[in-house]
Amino acid sequence: MKGQCDMATTAGMEEYETVRARIAGQFTTEKDIPKAIFSDPAIYREELKRIFRGHYWHMVAHRAELPEANSFKTFWLGETPVLLTRGEDETLRAFVNTCTHRGTLLEQRATGCSKEFECPYHRWLFSNKGNFIGGPGRRDFRSDFVAEDYALREFQVDEIAGLIFCSAAPQVGLEEWLGQCAGHVRDVMLDDGRLTLLGYQNAIFNANWKTYFDNDFYHAPLLHMGFRLLSWHGGQGEVRVEEPVGHFSVGYESSPYEDNGFLADPSLVEMKGTDARARVVALRPAYVLTKHLDTISVRFVRPLGVDRTQVTYAFFGHESDSPEYQAHRVRQASNLLGPSGMITIEDAAVFNRQQMTSRDGGMSRFVVGVDRPAAEARQNDENGNTAGWAYYREVMGFDR
Amino acid sequence: MTADIHMRAVSAEAMSAIDGLMGNYVAALDWQDWNGWLGSFADSCHYSVTSRQNAESNLPLCYMIDDCRARIEDRVKFITEVWASTIEPYRTRHVTQRLSVSRMDDRNYRVLSNVVVMFTQNNDPSGVLVTGYYDDVVTVDGGTALFASKTVYIDGTPTRYLAYPL
Ligand code: FES
Ligand SMILES: [Fe+2]
Repeated sequence: MKGQCDMATTAGMEEYETVRARIAGQFTTEKDIPKAIFSDPAIYREELKRIFRGHYWHMVAHRAELPEANSFKTFWLGETPVLLTRGEDETLRAFVNTCTHRGTLLEQRATGCSKEFECPYHRWLFSNKGNFIGGPGRRDFRSDFVAEDYALREFQVDEIAGLIFCSAAPQVGLEEWLGQCAGHVRDVMLDDGRLTLLGYQNAIFNANWKTYFDNDFYHAPLLHMGFRLLSWHGGQGEVRVEEPVGHFSVGYESSPYEDNGFLADPSLVEMKGTDARARVVALRPAYVLTKHLDTISVRFVRPLGVDRTQVTYAFFGHESDSPEYQAHRVRQASNLLGPSGMITIEDAAVFNRQQMTSRDGGMSRFVVGVDRPAAEARQNDENGNTAGWAYYREVMGFDR
Repeated sequence: MTADIHMRAVSAEAMSAIDGLMGNYVAALDWQDWNGWLGSFADSCHYSVTSRQNAESNLPLCYMIDDCRARIEDRVKFITEVWASTIEPYRTRHVTQRLSVSRMDDRNYRVLSNVVVMFTQNNDPSGVLVTGYYDDVVTVDGGTALFASKTVYIDGTPTRYLAYPL
């Protein structure tokens, strides 16, 4: 690990343009990705700027995590700390979680309830609308001090069915950004978004954030032995690939599990609810939502450097759940679809094992079904991946 | 977690059965003797792994919930038959420290212990997988002790994804 960090610092001195030009010769199509894209620190730093501080909308929270007026949640958008607040007026606002005086991290708790945020350093006070309210010794402030100039830096915020997104510099509204995948997002959120938070599972993968994303939402069922042993078949899925950004979603009805004797306790994989909609939604740049059996999950992603990614799996129930049904949801969510889930655990091995080879100078190639137009994408095609890569090439300047 | 010390009420025989169970449990995990792991639970039992983050916010989600013996059997089956070739295997070294034993009734004892789990993948340097504590209910019958319930609270994010029970 140490060696990689040192390498990162050295390579980091190269200007992005030099790196881009060097890689561009190999990166001529969205079907063939030079692995340097997953391991070069200059690329990573430029992604923080163009993607995480750029025009993308980022899935950052659900209203259930901010359950009442004056709730807040803090998180990281790339390497920018963010403070998300729910005002007394019910408006959601997101700010750079940095005191505008000398740049101290303003709020350090993960969640809580507060109308005001006080910086510990010189005790400046900010409202949960981001305004500078005051600070001791104001008489001695510089002569050009105007409170408005010291408001917290704000992001755009929007929500869909209770799911909250923010963006530093959006070019289109959230609905337009999600396009035809918005319907599947609503389906996962049970349409009305009146979800309750069941809790979190956290994982850190030794993988670039794109390696994580590319291999989390979309792969042939060949990887997951659990699916096959449980004789689960997705059925004929309704696939959507949203161009140009490259969001992907697939929807189908869960087929009931037929007990094949494999499990000593098959009640774990029973569907006890009445909503048979199964969905996997993958939103660029890095976010995954799933609804499988009775589980509802969204995955928040935080890159921790060029080859580490933290993923927080948040699971939800619905306000109308009976205590028994909620207990069933908790049991399924805790065992099936998280980072240690019986069905999904193999994903992590793929993220890590791809990243291990990302400095060998080779290519990662998309092959299956990629000649089909996006509108004709099938469930196990790799063109759910390539659509997003085509957009990435544009955003990162590889299409020149 | 309350580390009430009520050890005086516990007989030497019960204490030695409890320590024996703890030793067997850790050995089963560290030598990957999954039937031995299963064998440390009573017929009616509950095993779960959760985070302090969830527990302290009263959020019920866990990393693993095996709320009956059949679920524990299924976990063993997944480890030995389903995941064997796909997950990145690792070895563990559990270090536990008993904090308190308190008597709940004639047969059952609540046992609290700290635990640090080190892990080693391939022949790489070892690292900390998790730190945390066990909150257990142990049933003692004569010289034998078994877990009626075992709850593992982990302090933070596991260093790598958990494939095996703790
Ligand atoms: S740095 Fe925050 S008040 Fe000075
Ligand atoms: Fe998967």
